[in-house]
Amino acid sequence: MSEQINTGQLASAATSEQMIEINQMNKWYGDFHVLKDINLTVHKGERFVICGPSGSGKSTLIRCINALEEHQEGDIIVDGIKLGKNLKNLDHIRTEVGMVFQNFNLFPHLTILENLTLGPVWVRKMPKADAIETAMKYLERVKIPEQALKYPGQLSGGQQQRVAIARSLCMSPKIMLFDEPTSALDPEMIKEVLDVMVELADTGMTMIVVTHEMGFAKTIADEVIFMDEGDIVERNKPEAFFGNPEHERTQQFLNQIL
Amino acid sequence: MAIITQQKTAERPAPISETSVLGWLRINLFSSSFNTILTLVMVFIVYLTISGVLAWGYLDATFVADKRRECYDFSLTGACWAGVIAWLDNIFYGRYPREELWRVNMGGLLLILWMIPLWISRVRGKILIGVSVIMFYPFLAGYLFTGGEKSWFMQFMVTGAFLAFFVNMANMLIGLTMNTSMDKFLLRLIGQSEAPDKTQRNILLGLVVLSFVIIFSVQSSWIVDGVSWTKWGGLFLTLVISGIGIASSLPLGIFLALGRRSKLPVVRVLSTGFIEVFRSVPLITVLFMATTMFPLFMPEGFFLNKLVQVIIAVVLFNACYMAEIVRAGLQAIPKGQFEGAHTIGLGYWGTMGLIIMPQALKHMIPNIVGNIIGLLKDTTLVSIIGLFDILGMLRSISKDVPWLGLHKEPLVFGAILFFLICFSMSKYSRHLEAKLSAGNKH
Repeated sequence: MSEQINTGQLASAATSEQMIEINQMNKWYGDFHVLKDINLTVHKGERFVICGPSGSGKSTLIRCINALEEHQEGDIIVDGIKLGKNLKNLDHIRTEVGMVFQNFNLFPHLTILENLTLGPVWVRKMPKADAIETAMKYLERVKIPEQALKYPGQLSGGQQQRVAIARSLCMSPKIMLFDEPTSALDPEMIKEVLDVMVELADTGMTMIVVTHEMGFAKTIADEVIFMDEGDIVERNKPEAFFGNPEHERTQQFLNQIL
Repeated sequence: MAIITQQKTAERPAPISETSVLGWLRINLFSSSFNTILTLVMVFIVYLTISGVLAWGYLDATFVADKRRECYDFSLTGACWAGVIAWLDNIFYGRYPREELWRVNMGGLLLILWMIPLWISRVRGKILIGVSVIMFYPFLAGYLFTGGEKSWFMQFMVTGAFLAFFVNMANMLIGLTMNTSMDKFLLRLIGQSEAPDKTQRNILLGLVVLSFVIIFSVQSSWIVDGVSWTKWGGLFLTLVISGIGIASSLPLGIFLALGRRSKLPVVRVLSTGFIEVFRSVPLITVLFMATTMFPLFMPEGFFLNKLVQVIIAVVLFNACYMAEIVRAGLQAIPKGQFEGAHTIGLGYWGTMGLIIMPQALKHMIPNIVGNIIGLLKDTTLVSIIGLFDILGMLRSISKDVPWLGLHKEPLVFGAILFFLICFSMSKYSRHLEAKLSAGNKH
């Protein structure tokens, strides 16, 4: 089902370990069939970009991987653990899977530093001093260590999104999910967030990104997935996907956004 | 007129209405002849009111007299404050034995001293201080107010209270003078600040146990006379009922609100039912039920004193209102906050306690304080079921033989007292809001 990946030096590691496996997964919102027979395998170190028109189910798909949404049929296996009703499993998976939202979802009543150390201290039971050290390391990586003591409301959108990425990284996740991370940002702030994400991709992080930033997709994606009306319509290497899309629906979509 | 300004426009002074009092007066009070007349009429009405109140309440008033008749001899139109002054002790303490009043005052003073560190930013360990107030203070105050023989449990809690209080005070002084916390200071004092964590913890634990034993042996010989709750009254009783009501209805309300939003059907139905039933009944009914009906359902020989029944009724009644306020606060929190908390792996209690509740309660401070003020005023209803709280005391002045028929002055005095307490609470809540929202705007 999944092809061998030969791009870059990560290839050997990438083929070895399955991080996410989705088999015949279906989801409904009430009567509405959002996701239809989804099959997808993501190996360690692979970077997937998902695009598609709004309402196509792409956000729902990655929210299912993080167990923020329940699926009704089929299996989702993340890092060897099957998602289901077992709450202990869910908590475990959420600590292994980082997620970045369109609206950042930072905690407005806590400082940036507290936002970053909260998870490590309370969930990972890390000593506070170590948690602060880790937090500062990641804040430097997203290039805003000087904002550590401010509140989220005092930062620009781009800065907030970089904090949100750092907050997820502080939990040292194995997989990072991005749900339209740049859609709520002003044009001049999109680049600073994408730069951080490209750097993250370079470290070999397993990533699934829902985005319409096609330039970004071309740079980092191992594969691009196109979804429409709950189906995965097309999946391909970026060059092939953008160069000559097979499906008519993909062509229409690309014509509209490029 | 040119659309594009070629040069930078120079700043001009603001119009006179923005800068001088006279300008402001002219714009706001005397802008037209009609407004001028209105202003003058209003000034006249304000003058009449103030001069009337002043003449009645101060200029023509009697402050020294032995009975109401003597007030009339002095002035027929002025207030007779002498009656209120003669009853001051009753108004504040009820029929609490006069030679034991220091115990009530001491209880109040201890609470204030205990809470002071919470307002000083340099003091460390605020959460522990808050917990110690809720855990230990009620027992110490309870013993001070009731007295008598201490049971073993009471001995234990009173010792704990003293220990917590002394540690709290020492911690405040150390925080103020040396800007550090007490445990760090003690460890440095005995040269163990570099010792491994476990040793440090053992030393501190040893110190706590040692001081506990010392305080325990000292306090066991400390006994104050028993005072029956039936002697409690006045403002003191009002503050006891509303104090316990406030301190317990907020936590209880939080749990009820969480229960009402719970995914578990049993918890949800029970919480909702409880809230709706208690909220649909007037407080006075709940009070009557608690004092007259409740004992009928209890097994023979089971006895709860009336004060405890009243307090339980007030707490339960008020917790339902608190629950609805907290629920409103919870609903104002965007879904993204829950999702953000879930993605860093926080479970239900972590999400609620660290992320959702702090924000929800902060949004709801005005309503919570409004409810607290309402509770304080509602407790005057207990005078109807025969407890002599402040309102009961104020009304009995008019039945006291020397002051027969003196209604107005005591009630005005009570109104002023309530206004002072409630207004300072509302001021404090505004201050709290401003402090908590600093640098924290969405």
